[in-house]
Amino acid sequence: MSMAILTDITKCIGCFECVAACKKTNGHKADKPYVFHVNDGLSAHNWTSIVQRPDKHFVRKQCRHCLEPACASACPVGALHQTSEGIVIYDSHKCIGCRYCMIACPYGIPRYDWDKPVPYVQKCSMCYELVKHGKQPACTAVCPTQATIFGERKELIAEAHRRIEENPGKYINKVFGEFEVGGTSVLYISDIDLGFLSYVAIPGTKALPKTTATAMEAVLPTFFGVGAVMGGLHWLVRRRQKLQRENEESEG
Amino acid sequence: MNRLDVFKSVLWTLTGLAVATAITRFIFGLGAVSNLSDSTPWGIWKGLNVVPGIALAAGGFVVTAVIYVLKREEFHRYAKVAVLIAFLGYLSAATALVVELGLPWLVWQPVIYWQFHSALFEVSWCVMLYLGVLLLEFLPVPLEETGWFAGLRRFLTKYKLVLVFLGIMISSLHQSSLGTLFLITPEKLHPLWYSALLPIEFLVSAIAVGPLVVILGVLVICYMYRKEADRKTLSKLAYLGFIVIVIYGVIRFVGLGVNGKLPMIFDGSWQSTVFLIEIALMLVIPIVLLGIRKLRYSQAGLAVACFSAVIGLGLDRANIAGVMLQVPGSQYYPTIYEVFVSLGIVAGAIIVFLFCVEHFKIWDVKWKDPRERPEYCPQFGLGSDVWLGSPGVTERVKYSLVFALSFALGFALMPQDRIESKGVEEITVQKARGGDTLFIDGNLDAFGTLFDHARHVDSLGQKQSCIKCHHMNVPLDKESGCWECHSSMYTANDIFRHDWHASPNGATIACDICHKPEQERQKASAKECRDCHIDLYADSTADTLDTYLAVSYVDAMHILCVDCHRGRAVADTTRVALAQCPACHTGPQPDYLKAEMADELSRPAPNHVMMPPAVLQVKEE
Amino acid sequence: MDAWLEFARGPLFRLSFGVMMLGLLRVLLLDLYGAWEAYRRAGDKTLPWGYIIRRTLVWFFPVNKVFKGRPFYSICSILFHIGLILVPVFLFAHIQLWESGVGISWPTLPKPVADWLTISTIVFAIALLIGRSFSRMSSFLSRKQDYLWPLLLLLPFVTGYVCANMSVSASAYQVTMLIHILSGELIFILLPFTKIAHCILLPFSQFVSCVAWRFPADTDDAVCTTLNKKGAPV
Repeated sequence: MSMAILTDITKCIGCFECVAACKKTNGHKADKPYVFHVNDGLSAHNWTSIVQRPDKHFVRKQCRHCLEPACASACPVGALHQTSEGIVIYDSHKCIGCRYCMIACPYGIPRYDWDKPVPYVQKCSMCYELVKHGKQPACTAVCPTQATIFGERKELIAEAHRRIEENPGKYINKVFGEFEVGGTSVLYISDIDLGFLSYVAIPGTKALPKTTATAMEAVLPTFFGVGAVMGGLHWLVRRRQKLQRENEESEG
Repeated sequence: MNRLDVFKSVLWTLTGLAVATAITRFIFGLGAVSNLSDSTPWGIWKGLNVVPGIALAAGGFVVTAVIYVLKREEFHRYAKVAVLIAFLGYLSAATALVVELGLPWLVWQPVIYWQFHSALFEVSWCVMLYLGVLLLEFLPVPLEETGWFAGLRRFLTKYKLVLVFLGIMISSLHQSSLGTLFLITPEKLHPLWYSALLPIEFLVSAIAVGPLVVILGVLVICYMYRKEADRKTLSKLAYLGFIVIVIYGVIRFVGLGVNGKLPMIFDGSWQSTVFLIEIALMLVIPIVLLGIRKLRYSQAGLAVACFSAVIGLGLDRANIAGVMLQVPGSQYYPTIYEVFVSLGIVAGAIIVFLFCVEHFKIWDVKWKDPRERPEYCPQFGLGSDVWLGSPGVTERVKYSLVFALSFALGFALMPQDRIESKGVEEITVQKARGGDTLFIDGNLDAFGTLFDHARHVDSLGQKQSCIKCHHMNVPLDKESGCWECHSSMYTANDIFRHDWHASPNGATIACDICHKPEQERQKASAKECRDCHIDLYADSTADTLDTYLAVSYVDAMHILCVDCHRGRAVADTTRVALAQCPACHTGPQPDYLKAEMADELSRPAPNHVMMPPAVLQVKEE
Repeated sequence: MDAWLEFARGPLFRLSFGVMMLGLLRVLLLDLYGAWEAYRRAGDKTLPWGYIIRRTLVWFFPVNKVFKGRPFYSICSILFHIGLILVPVFLFAHIQLWESGVGISWPTLPKPVADWLTISTIVFAIALLIGRSFSRMSSFLSRKQDYLWPLLLLLPFVTGYVCANMSVSASAYQVTMLIHILSGELIFILLPFTKIAHCILLPFSQFVSCVAWRFPADTDDAVCTTLNKKGAPV
């Protein structure tokens, strides 16, 4: 069962209740503008934020919980991994702090405790502890206008398409996150383009783990292939030297 | 001073600075000494030490392959140098990782948590395995010198071929998987560098430059110890590198051509300039110098070609692992402390290299310190007139002093302000402007709050409403504004200025006016502010001065406003909106700013949050 | 003046403290390594451990000197050293600085004890200085630095006592405090390079000097060769 969040940008009034609820649920302290933050409101103490766009558009930014997460595929120890609900969660006991997940994420979501001697990666966990027990995440539970809702991914995609069809002209005809980077669990419908949420305006539909998969599948063949080639070369060279020596001996 | 002395002193100085920085990093966190940030999580420690360091260590497996697999016996005398350079290259990369990782004490965890789909998992396994193999390959050298563990040495020498094969297999895998690391970032890495063939490009360029690093190492030793280099063999080795560099150039340009990226090379952006520099250093100069037989056989030609290729490869790796991996709009430049660590680790590796050269039989002859010749007089300590013994002893005394002094210097240079602020920007609060309606905008970013002063005057009853906000007065003032004490936007600040009170230009108060005699001179036992400043507290306020810290401006505003507003919202269910952030943060934008914002927003990135993130305050309930 | 104080408390303190800590460690390691090398080359490898430990303890707790030899001088010296070590390490104000800087703290001396120890250190330092200059034997053995060191060590104690106890004017306070910090830092920097390094070498000095008197294995032959009496019985 794949769970998802659907955010309707046209319904968001920018009240920050989701942000406050997120902070409270995860026990985060109030944020300050640190020198090592990106100016999008997300930080080690802010797992979701509201990005304000022109003409009273409020876009909630959070982890997209990709169906094929680049961060989890990049993580060398599996500290980031996907649950059966499709949620990408972080296990701080496994993390070694390499920050490859931050490099890999196409949306620039994971943040780091730069000011701490024992730092961890920080990102939205879609309130996995709550979802596990059949509840919904704190942010969707608290939304006063139902702009961001929680449910099964299939149903939410159907709901998104229904809304787009029922209100012709109101939305851009696209469910953001349906196919991007292989599909994400956090979906948006919107009347403005949401390309600014990722590093490139229109992310490809290819899942990022697939870019490395070919190379990773070639690992064992390469390993033994190189060994075999080197062994063969070694045998050839030795044989040639031996023959040469025998020739010299027979001549001499 | 001898050139070796100068060189070693510089190396020890760099190491001392690096150790001081590393200690600070482990006490106060990565943000205290580096400019790493959420947008550029990898800096020069990965971009200059780890990735290029490993690429330059490729000489180990290439040269051993040539010697033991292809049986080119003429290179045999450089086998140990090659293995040693590879070992130290990997060791320095691993050391850089220890400083660079967030939780370096867990660096071994890939051993127990297997993740076959992760390129970095493979890289870490290869680093660990290859370090082990290199150690075993090199171990016979020091064992031969000391005569310890003769059995182990015989065993290792006997099965050397197995180690060589393992080394070749692991490190060819490893060099290419470093390229795989960056396949997952098609959006971030600049197209001139991004290619589906990155793993192969990484492997081939490492094979090309590996032998050249060994040659450079040999030339440096010969220069330092005033020996004649065996140019004939070295040029032969360089020719091998030359062939592979040509292959690499073909792969790279064919790759660019197939993907239609060739026009980008001359599009005039700074990235294309860097690309041209990289190509010149790594391909053009070495190919020209090594391609011409006469130049290849000259020491200068060989040295320049190798140096240029090494720098070129370093630049290529640094570009892929850092410079060209940046998020648009974010800027990263290393702090001086990052540079200390970067250089210090390399310097440390060179120190170990020179030590091995001086103490072990790295090739045919042992490279003795030139100062051990009899014409060098015995040396004496500067102040004590004590005989310092042979040059070896002198060295110990001298370089440990250099290290201690540079360590202390590095420690003194640590960024105190940055450590104390923990990365929070220090912004001085500006006073609110306006009359009956105040515009509260402490950091002057124009995203302020309109505060209807007139309407709030009666909200709690005249007197009570006043002292709610104006609970304290600055001396000789009445109804002081919030900004006068809460003068820092995001950090709490000390409102008692001890130095000013004691300063000859300030209050000139003698110690015992505040600190009673026979008591520890500390804040707790000192006289209270109100004993001197009678009107410090507003009349009938309940507030007292527990600490001398005034909370940050943002906190002060939020604690006051949110408290009341939440209370009202709970009491009167028709006015729920009062408790929501936009009730105050309506953010009227002046016209001049609208144009600016439109420009900012027209870019795909970075995103700009119009509301400062810190408007959020979680209220404990 | 504030800027000077700030600089002395910040970078300058870290510099001098770093020089002291690493400098002392360096001196200790060089000392022990030298001893180890001498021991490795020694012909006779037996060491009089009992003697070494006894001598070290005697140097550490010079109690018996109180009863024989120079009782006055010994008592002065012991009391001087006690104050010299205890006061800077366990003073409340110093520990507060550590706590605000790096967040570590340890038990403190009560203020009256600290005050009296400071005064006793000052008094005994002066007494030792007088003793040194008026005793013919000691003044014969003394170098310039032997007179300068007690004076330099006195400086932070006197200024510290003034800052902590006497009520002085604001400007005098700041100047005194600056002298206090700077003189302390000068001591830190000089410490590993002068005779004061005995603070860390003392426990090992008996061991090292015992080791140093083991001759290398072939010394007697070498001496004979040098004297052109090769093969002669030693």
